[in-house]
Amino acid sequence: MKKEFDVIVVGAGHAGCEAALASARLGHNTIIFATNLDTVAFCACNPSIGGTAKGQIVREIDALGGEMAINADKSILQMRMLNRGKGPAVYSPRAQVDKFVYHSTMKATLETTPNLVLRQAEVVSLEKTETGFVVNTSVDVKYCAKAVVLACGVYLNSRTIVGKCIEESGPNGFKSAKKLTDSLVALGMEPLRFKTGTPARVLASSVDFSKMEKQDGESSTCHFSYMNKGIPAQKRSCYLTYTTLETKQIVLSNLDKAPMYSGEIVGVGPRYCPSLETKIERFSDKERHQLFLEPEGECTQEFYVQGASTSLPADIQEEMYKSIAGLENVQIMRDAYAIEYDCFDATSLKNTLESKKIDGLFLAGQINGTSGYEEAAAQGLVAGINAVKFIENKQPLILTRQDSYIGVLIDDITTKQSTEPYRMMTSRAEHRLVLRQDNADLRLTQIGRDIGLVSDERYNLYLEKVEQIEKAKQCLNEVLSPKTVAEMFTSVGETLPKSGISVKDCLKRTNVNVKVLQQHLGLFEGFSDDVLEQIEINAKYEGYIAKQQALILDAEKMENKKLPNDLDYETVSGLRLEARQKLNYFKPSSLGQAGRISGVSPADVQILMVWLAQHRNNG
Amino acid sequence: MSIVALSTPAGRSAVAVVRMSGENSIEIAKKVFSPFPKSPNLLKVGNLDTGDFVERAMCVYFEAPKSFTGENMVEFHCHGGMAIVTSVIQVLLDNGARMAQNGEFSKRAFINGKMNLSETEGVIEMIDAETTAAVKAGENLLANNLGKKSVALQDKLLDLIAKTEVALDYPEEDLEEQTLLETQKETQEILDEIEKLLSTVKAGKIAKYGIDVAIAGETNVGKSSLLNALLGYDRAIVSSTAGTTRDTLDAHLTYKDTKFNFVDTAGIRQTDNEIERLGIDRAKKTMKEADLVLFVVNGKPLAQQEKTLYVLNKCDEIDYSNVNREDCVVTSAKDNKGIEELKEKIYKMFCADEIYSSGQMLTNARHVDCLNRAKEKLQIVVDNLFCTTVDCSALNIRDAWSALGEITGTTATEEIIDRIYSKFCLGK
Repeated sequence: MKKEFDVIVVGAGHAGCEAALASARLGHNTIIFATNLDTVAFCACNPSIGGTAKGQIVREIDALGGEMAINADKSILQMRMLNRGKGPAVYSPRAQVDKFVYHSTMKATLETTPNLVLRQAEVVSLEKTETGFVVNTSVDVKYCAKAVVLACGVYLNSRTIVGKCIEESGPNGFKSAKKLTDSLVALGMEPLRFKTGTPARVLASSVDFSKMEKQDGESSTCHFSYMNKGIPAQKRSCYLTYTTLETKQIVLSNLDKAPMYSGEIVGVGPRYCPSLETKIERFSDKERHQLFLEPEGECTQEFYVQGASTSLPADIQEEMYKSIAGLENVQIMRDAYAIEYDCFDATSLKNTLESKKIDGLFLAGQINGTSGYEEAAAQGLVAGINAVKFIENKQPLILTRQDSYIGVLIDDITTKQSTEPYRMMTSRAEHRLVLRQDNADLRLTQIGRDIGLVSDERYNLYLEKVEQIEKAKQCLNEVLSPKTVAEMFTSVGETLPKSGISVKDCLKRTNVNVKVLQQHLGLFEGFSDDVLEQIEINAKYEGYIAKQQALILDAEKMENKKLPNDLDYETVSGLRLEARQKLNYFKPSSLGQAGRISGVSPADVQILMVWLAQHRNNG
Repeated sequence: MSIVALSTPAGRSAVAVVRMSGENSIEIAKKVFSPFPKSPNLLKVGNLDTGDFVERAMCVYFEAPKSFTGENMVEFHCHGGMAIVTSVIQVLLDNGARMAQNGEFSKRAFINGKMNLSETEGVIEMIDAETTAAVKAGENLLANNLGKKSVALQDKLLDLIAKTEVALDYPEEDLEEQTLLETQKETQEILDEIEKLLSTVKAGKIAKYGIDVAIAGETNVGKSSLLNALLGYDRAIVSSTAGTTRDTLDAHLTYKDTKFNFVDTAGIRQTDNEIERLGIDRAKKTMKEADLVLFVVNGKPLAQQEKTLYVLNKCDEIDYSNVNREDCVVTSAKDNKGIEELKEKIYKMFCADEIYSSGQMLTNARHVDCLNRAKEKLQIVVDNLFCTTVDCSALNIRDAWSALGEITGTTATEEIIDRIYSKFCLGK
């Protein structure tokens, strides 16, 4: 018996959900598999969404018509804007979410979306056929489809490690997928082995919160989704605490029992998310390490101990946690563990997330060696959209470093070989002053609309905002008389200008913002805050933004110089040996991408440029 | 494909060197030269068959990557006549080589990682050098001294970038956060180093182009005689008629390792003569642009003036024994008295310091431009101008970093590389 679909999505984590929703919403018959339906959109690690660079990604997913922001907004426990005061380029929204609500809300969305089937089953094999793909499940029911999105997360051949106790298991005791990797290797894909970890969950009533610093959300940060106006209510607090000297002693005297040090773990872990034992060992001069207790949900006593992931044996874990200020009598509910899993080198993918070797096969999320819910969701959305484009034989969606963090993410992972799980950071985005969380809608809604994922309601909100911004801009060039300016500047402590200055120049002053202009001059009446935010940022950072935009144009020129897919770089004379090999391996889509491959020098790029020019002349 | 070119100057000479570089250059050479050297780096006498005639020449080959370009290379040292050279090159072309383009040998060296950008520029500077001071400066570039310095500065900036960025990407970690004040202080330190490098620009210009010396003064004080005495031959017309020199007159002299560029000018006086008046205007302009003005007087020197040396001429007629000033030199152009002392004084004024003798100075306008751009960006950070938020300081520090990277070509755009290679002459 065979069941036929347009698109099969393997895995219902953050990547899989976005991929399946995109495909189904674009009108294609889609089935999404989870090894266990309780794992749908499960937040296996920290109960939070967003953060630096990740918050930007959530807003971008939203602008394109993805689900993550909307789903997160329904499960917020508290919300804040990180990096306030450090400049709009790095403002990053971050929410603590109720992970149970997050899961059940997403599951309900999948269940009620037309064209979408949610099915519990372990996929054990994938085969390419002439017309598409056949997958088989562990109960020997076959499904076929024209395109497949693999979003298996950390479930492939995963093992969890607590001291010497190793289990062939996925996160949180969910079962791992043991057969699919072999099937993918048979298709010519090369597996890597990565590692990550998660801290213990502890019982709130056993924690002495009075020894910790309470951290609440802000009452000024609005929802993730541009569709949801207003400020989410604060429902739960987080708590800040520290390790003690005792913690350090316990960890150091038990290092030999840590699997990372005893050689038990071979997978490569992320540098940016080290286990507590790694932190203590590597930064031994540091007396204490900061930890956050984060609520897992509204209807549970469980708290997540952020910053204290470990794979030490369970009894030592307990001793260690009890040495932390406020956790002296802690009752551990779930042990911390490290997890090892198979993933695949994403440089074997195009910048559409389609395999270079196997047409119609897309990979998204942690299977590509990334980490993070947001990074996964972003890839899932792009992979889902492009699976549809593939079936419809239409131009794929290619986001670029110039238009989005998602573009930066995909370009990075498909261009540079990762040696550790890839996490998005604002410093990876060279145009971050333009790629802000506040303007993701302005950057991407039109793209989402063209794809077909942006509803009329969302699109109208966007058009309205664009129109309002244009209107609000009109008064920027109005020149104010010295007398008008004097009164306002004096009251905010700005030095007086020698002659009349424009509204825009007023805004460039440190102590002048839109609110000041509203109060003193009655300007900008009737405009919403998000419109005025655009006016203010664009005026204050005008010089920098203009410069980045010029750089973006330069970069686009390089991106627009397309390199043929079938070009044999051995035939291009003048290229260095290393460059030839790398270029033949990567087959970059453009000169811009070629230049970002490590081992390809500016001189090599120049040679390619000459080659392109000659080729064009000959053609 | 192998490239070939004449590496020595075109024209008659005792020996001419024809160079070939490329994967198959050794194979091509074996077809025309026998007996071919048995091993690389060995200069061997033999016969070069051009087809028309057999040239008795020497041949040496280098194996990749141990050669200037990093590719296989062959050199033929033949007799230096144009007909011979043309035939030699022709037979190499017939056997599969092609003519090299401007700067192509150096370009290949750069591409093959044998040299960085500033090193290749060092090659041009050395070849173009007219004085030993300029050679030294070029040699320094070639030795990658500037490259090392800019890499070191880039490295420091990278540290600073990392420190700023980590605070932006990890706002909630209890890192010892770099304060704005610390960032400014560290930026200032790097800025100081850049300014130190930039302060060598003047010395670099002098090493490369020489010292521009204007000879000025009233009419008939002996300016043109002084020029002739300095040069050691009669360059300017000398007569007792006031206002003989009308137009400015250039002449060059190499003193020790440095070039002196003298400009004799029209004597300054009130005149109704249109031509003389134009000459006087030119004299004033020359004085303004010069590195040094030799102001010739017969009698009392004027008050001290910037970049001015008073030449108290005609000491055979006038008694200067009571003048004892640092900015005065007593001469008699007619009797050749005090002339060597004057040259030495000029030399010491410009070329005596350590930087000059070490050759570690900036001689290249592109490098100066890179450093100036980096300086400008860092100054913004130090002054905390325009935008006060950290994301903007980070941006400026990054820009400074990439400007410095352009010196060695690590972040050079293709336009820069293009311009550099277009400056190269054939066959270097």
